[in-house]
Amino acid sequence: MAVKRRSMEAPDLNLVPIMNLVTILIPFLIMAAQFVQLAVIDSTLPAIGAPQPQDEEPEKPPLNLSLAITDRGVTVLGADAILHPEGAPEVSEGEARPPTIPCTSGGVCTSVEDYDWNKLTVKLGLIKDEYPDEENVILVPDNHIKYEVLVKTMDSSRDDPSKPGAEGDPRLLFPFVVIAGGAK
Amino acid sequence: MALKKARRAGSGAELNITSMMDMMTIILVFLLKSYSTQDISVAPSEDLELPVSTVKKNPQMAVNLIVSKKNIVVDGVPVLSLEKVDDEDNPGQKKIQVPEDQRNGQLIDALLDELSKKADTAKNIGQQSGSEEHAFKGRLLIQCDKKLPFEVLRQVMYTAGQAQFSEFKFIVYKME
Repeated sequence: MAVKRRSMEAPDLNLVPIMNLVTILIPFLIMAAQFVQLAVIDSTLPAIGAPQPQDEEPEKPPLNLSLAITDRGVTVLGADAILHPEGAPEVSEGEARPPTIPCTSGGVCTSVEDYDWNKLTVKLGLIKDEYPDEENVILVPDNHIKYEVLVKTMDSSRDDPSKPGAEGDPRLLFPFVVIAGGAK
Repeated sequence: MALKKARRAGSGAELNITSMMDMMTIILVFLLKSYSTQDISVAPSEDLELPVSTVKKNPQMAVNLIVSKKNIVVDGVPVLSLEKVDDEDNPGQKKIQVPEDQRNGQLIDALLDELSKKADTAKNIGQQSGSEEHAFKGRLLIQCDKKLPFEVLRQVMYTAGQAQFSEFKFIVYKME
């Protein structure tokens, strides 16, 4: 019975050379493997020197959109006419203006998630509706703002994932970021 | 028992490697999938945790500047150490800063020297090659720890600006 079965079976494949090959390939591939994907965010220094003289008067005053990031929230500057059509909120003398997008916890933001990023994206979407050609945004972070908050602000102002734009990509808002030195 | 029998038969015990082969094949496919030929590699460490971003642009080669929690490194060469001091604005908390004797206002002297050297080398290469592709464009890759305060980053950016680097590329982890 046993003899009969052996004659029917195909001969065993010799897998040892393949094993050798694979064993050598694996360490090599482990070395070259990248388990995290990297990406870059472009940013430029603010231009130094006198502003370029403009030949003709633009129809609309240019939008100097700035985002001031403090530990109380994010303040959108340069677009008051859109954000507050009925006039900017009254601020008494000597008092700091409340941030446009305050922290979700109300007071001081303790972590990145404390900032209301969705609201910022929505507000910037409103500004983009008014100025469809504008692509620059200036970040003015406070001294002790953490780098991750900065990156998150750039993410929120780059595109709006909730609204599709051209070719299925998210709608672009203000992809060109300039980091201003802040006041010191 | 089986071993005894096999030895008696005169042949060595045969190892069944088919299952191992299966495993190896799966590992091989997985590793081939994660194989990458990116120019830039990041050495993850406790002091350098990059932030995560939704940006999709791939990095290109340029001068590499690492600002970790402990030191500043330019192209693999440590330039200066950062210090941890008590934060005056938030008592009881520590903040990371560039030592005051190492900087001149906003300017970090040691970093300026190193970056200026890099800029000069890059310009020389650009001139000698004569091609537009290798010309010095002032690109600087910045790997920065996510917990670093903006103050340090601003000083680093200002110094880089003085050394004629004006295009900053912040390296981040791509969100899956």
